[in-house]
Amino acid sequence: MPDKSSPVDPQVVRKIAALARLTVPEEELPLWTEQLGRIVSYIDQLKTLPEESGSRAGAPPTPLRPDTTRGGGGREALEENEPLLLHDHGVVPRVVGAAGEDRRPAPQGQSSRPGPRA
Amino acid sequence: MSDTTSLDSVVAIASDVSAGRRSAEEVVGESLARVRERDRRLGAFLEVSESLALEEARSVDRRVASREALPLAGVPLAVKDNMWVLGRQATCASKILEGFRPPADATAIARLRRAGAVFVGKTNLDEFAMGSSTENSAYQITRNPWDLERIPGGSSGGSAAAVSSRMVPAALGSDTGGSIRQPAACCGVVGFKPTYGRVSRYGLVAFGSSLDQIGPITRRVADAARVYTVMAGLDPLDSTSVADPVGNPESSLEAGISGKTVGFLQEAETEGLDSEVAANLEEARRAFAAAGARVTTVSIPRAPWAIAIYYVVASAEASSNLARYDGIRYGPRRGDENLMSLYIQTRTAGFGPEVRRRILLGTFALAAGYYDAYYGRAMRARELLSADFENAFRQVDLIVCPSIPAPAFRIGEKVDDPLSMYLSDIFTVPASLAGVPAISVPSGLSGRGLPLAIQIMSPRLEEALLFSAARAFEREVAVPDELPRGLRSD
Repeated sequence: MPDKSSPVDPQVVRKIAALARLTVPEEELPLWTEQLGRIVSYIDQLKTLPEESGSRAGAPPTPLRPDTTRGGGGREALEENEPLLLHDHGVVPRVVGAAGEDRRPAPQGQSSRPGPRA
Repeated sequence: MSDTTSLDSVVAIASDVSAGRRSAEEVVGESLARVRERDRRLGAFLEVSESLALEEARSVDRRVASREALPLAGVPLAVKDNMWVLGRQATCASKILEGFRPPADATAIARLRRAGAVFVGKTNLDEFAMGSSTENSAYQITRNPWDLERIPGGSSGGSAAAVSSRMVPAALGSDTGGSIRQPAACCGVVGFKPTYGRVSRYGLVAFGSSLDQIGPITRRVADAARVYTVMAGLDPLDSTSVADPVGNPESSLEAGISGKTVGFLQEAETEGLDSEVAANLEEARRAFAAAGARVTTVSIPRAPWAIAIYYVVASAEASSNLARYDGIRYGPRRGDENLMSLYIQTRTAGFGPEVRRRILLGTFALAAGYYDAYYGRAMRARELLSADFENAFRQVDLIVCPSIPAPAFRIGEKVDDPLSMYLSDIFTVPASLAGVPAISVPSGLSGRGLPLAIQIMSPRLEEALLFSAARAFEREVAVPDELPRGLRSD
């Protein structure tokens, strides 16, 4: 088990899982807490680093390129990976409105392509 | 042509095909035949593209016939399944990218294709390159050709096993914290990680963006230099790619290291090193001296922090990079009752346990309340570690340490102990954090007949020096040249 000073407890694991858009089943929570706690305890050796030491000041700036448009191409290849196509547009689940509304039957004209499926 | 030599060397194949002594179709056909025969036992490949590869080989033969100069004419390559190759899948060994077909070639792949290389298949890896044993693949495990009960290393374990078993003369891996060098070491082949920014990351599925590099796995140093030189150089599609000229490392390959100062890493010799690895390191010291180098000891005082820094930085970057897999744009969807359940169910079902562990760790390190204590501190420690390297390279030309702390371990041995698995990368992670180039070169076999390897590191952008040192070392040591033990009943 991680030592008592470990900041990782089941509540923290639940919280970070929610932030990461993941679920940790309740029955697995002790194992995940223990494993993450051990790793974080190991990482805590960095606490010996004095607060003022090291800085990003000397790091080179992120290189930037001109903000101009370029020809895209590869439309067919992109379409192949769409889970669903309708009138040449990718269909995504409804992101606003009441839950369940996007589960209506597929309208006519919908075509499917090879690749991953919903 | 004997079984052990006909597919050994990138340089020899390119020379033979260019001169018309063998056709690309013949070479690629032989490679595919070996894959059919050997991969049943190894599980190195996730996808083999027989007809596409033969078609591409015939196209190379036509280019050779029209007198096009091709530095990789007819060379069969295997590619880790986290890189984009047109017409092939790119699953990252994850269920969340099952069936994904990339819309373009990665820049490195496009350059290799132009040089006459042919892509025979996509190789297995730890899911999203997160692991050191290739056991984290969602599809299959890969076995070490030297001992089928042991891991091939990871995360580019499929690529290393494919080269070690001589199914292909070269394969591409990606290296974030050692994922080229560590499996190459476990499988008795050469693995090279270029300076960060030398090879474009465009078309390499992102894991830790400040660390990721594509590099070759080959049987000989000269072959790694050839593949690297073709791939390297500025690419406007990767804003971190460096503009400095690549030069021609092959021209100085035989220059030797007479008069160069080689510093053996002091911190590597105090880590409870495996006794055979320690003895092998002593032999390496003698080999460098015999090659004419001045051999000394050098310190990277913060090297023992490397794993702690790495698992904060790489996991934080991974948690951000992998946020894009939400079930909306590609990948199998689950739980579409509402948007949040779609995200959560798709991601929880699509990612394996190690990927979820790294995402959670990275999310933790970046979360309000923990950011300064973990991510901020790790970034400052990374700066100090990089400064240690700069200081060390003012004293020595090259730094040497073992590539792996012990020979390849048994399948299943560390799956329940993530921290112990992470420590397999103790010697490879420092060069990744500092962004310097590093190469793993075979250095003999253990008492059990398992490969041992030495890692050489050079200052940023000094690949030519690194290759000539690796070649000098390769000449001095007895590199195992027989077919790996696990395949000898062929």
